[in-house]
Amino acid sequence: MMSFWENLGRRVIQMITAFADTIIFAGKVFIRIFRRKTYSSAMREVLLNQIYFTSVQILPVFLMVSIIFGSLLIGIVFQLLKEFGLTGFFGHVLMGLIVTELSPLLTVLLITLRSAAAINTEMAVMKVNREIKTLEMFRIDVIDYLLVPRVINGIISIVLLSSLCSIVLLVSGALFSWLIFGMSIDVYTNILLNATNFSDILIALFKCAIYGFFITLIPIRFGLRASQELTSIPIVVSQGMVNVFAAILIIEVLSLLTKLL
Amino acid sequence: MDVPLISNQDIYMNIALIKEYHEDMPRRQAQRLAVEYLERVDLGHIAYKRNPALNPEERFCGMLLRAAMVKDAMILIDQPFKIIPHLKDIRFITTALKKIDDLYLSCHIYDYKWMEEKYGEL
Repeated sequence: MMSFWENLGRRVIQMITAFADTIIFAGKVFIRIFRRKTYSSAMREVLLNQIYFTSVQILPVFLMVSIIFGSLLIGIVFQLLKEFGLTGFFGHVLMGLIVTELSPLLTVLLITLRSAAAINTEMAVMKVNREIKTLEMFRIDVIDYLLVPRVINGIISIVLLSSLCSIVLLVSGALFSWLIFGMSIDVYTNILLNATNFSDILIALFKCAIYGFFITLIPIRFGLRASQELTSIPIVVSQGMVNVFAAILIIEVLSLLTKLL
Repeated sequence: MDVPLISNQDIYMNIALIKEYHEDMPRRQAQRLAVEYLERVDLGHIAYKRNPALNPEERFCGMLLRAAMVKDAMILIDQPFKIIPHLKDIRFITTALKKIDDLYLSCHIYDYKWMEEKYGEL
């Protein structure tokens, strides 16, 4: 019985320590974002490449998923609103649920699956190949050169792609509102504007930035934990991805709490 | 000590990285310089290749040029015949070093006593 409590206690302490370490590390990276010296020519090049890989290369797939998934979702939600006689809540559902909640979540899930996994593996491979050591030997700061551009890219990409996803959802919303409710575009725009809460949009954008920060920071952190053995790569990648999904859930819950308060 | 080239970057980017990071040299200028230095050692054609696609000689020259990009560079080559195992003597390395001798202050080669004959009169 004692060993159960000991194990439980040890696990809790490990979890708290790991969480505190991540927050301290996040603070360190966050400070570097605002340091002028960080933005060397080499770092800017990495940043541009990362934005291209994360935001531009993914665009066709992202747009396709947004259109298919978004239209499907909006179609179902509008149909339900009509069936239950809740047409009056149409604008609030569209802005409050679909645009400010589902759009950031859909974006972050797609980017996590594509880019966070890639970043995690890239860092782990660099560690195993001793490329991180090489950078250190050339006095190249790993945080400035590798971490900060990826984290900034995460923030920019999630904010922009989530906004794009919202626009796609709003356009398909216009289409479905015409098909299901026979609503003209003027009426649709009017309902949307009345239902728009500026603070909700700000919270959604802030949440996107937080998502972007952590879904890049956590994979990097776990990737850098790889040892010199190839077999450590799948271990750190799976740990990293599990932690990224845990972080997404925590951020989602915190944003809901912020709205309730 | 093993200091491999960064495998997700082309060779010219590996070389240019040092100038871009330490001297904040604009990207295009640093990369043009890197290609120019590669051409100096007759390896302009590897500029856009990555580490796994190189043979040992090309890899050695890439690493050598990257080391020479450091300001007031002092190059240290540890066991060159371990980097390029099939070399019969040191001539390839001394020729490469001569071609870029204006880029570094000094160069030291370390190896075991029993490899002495490969160095000839050097």
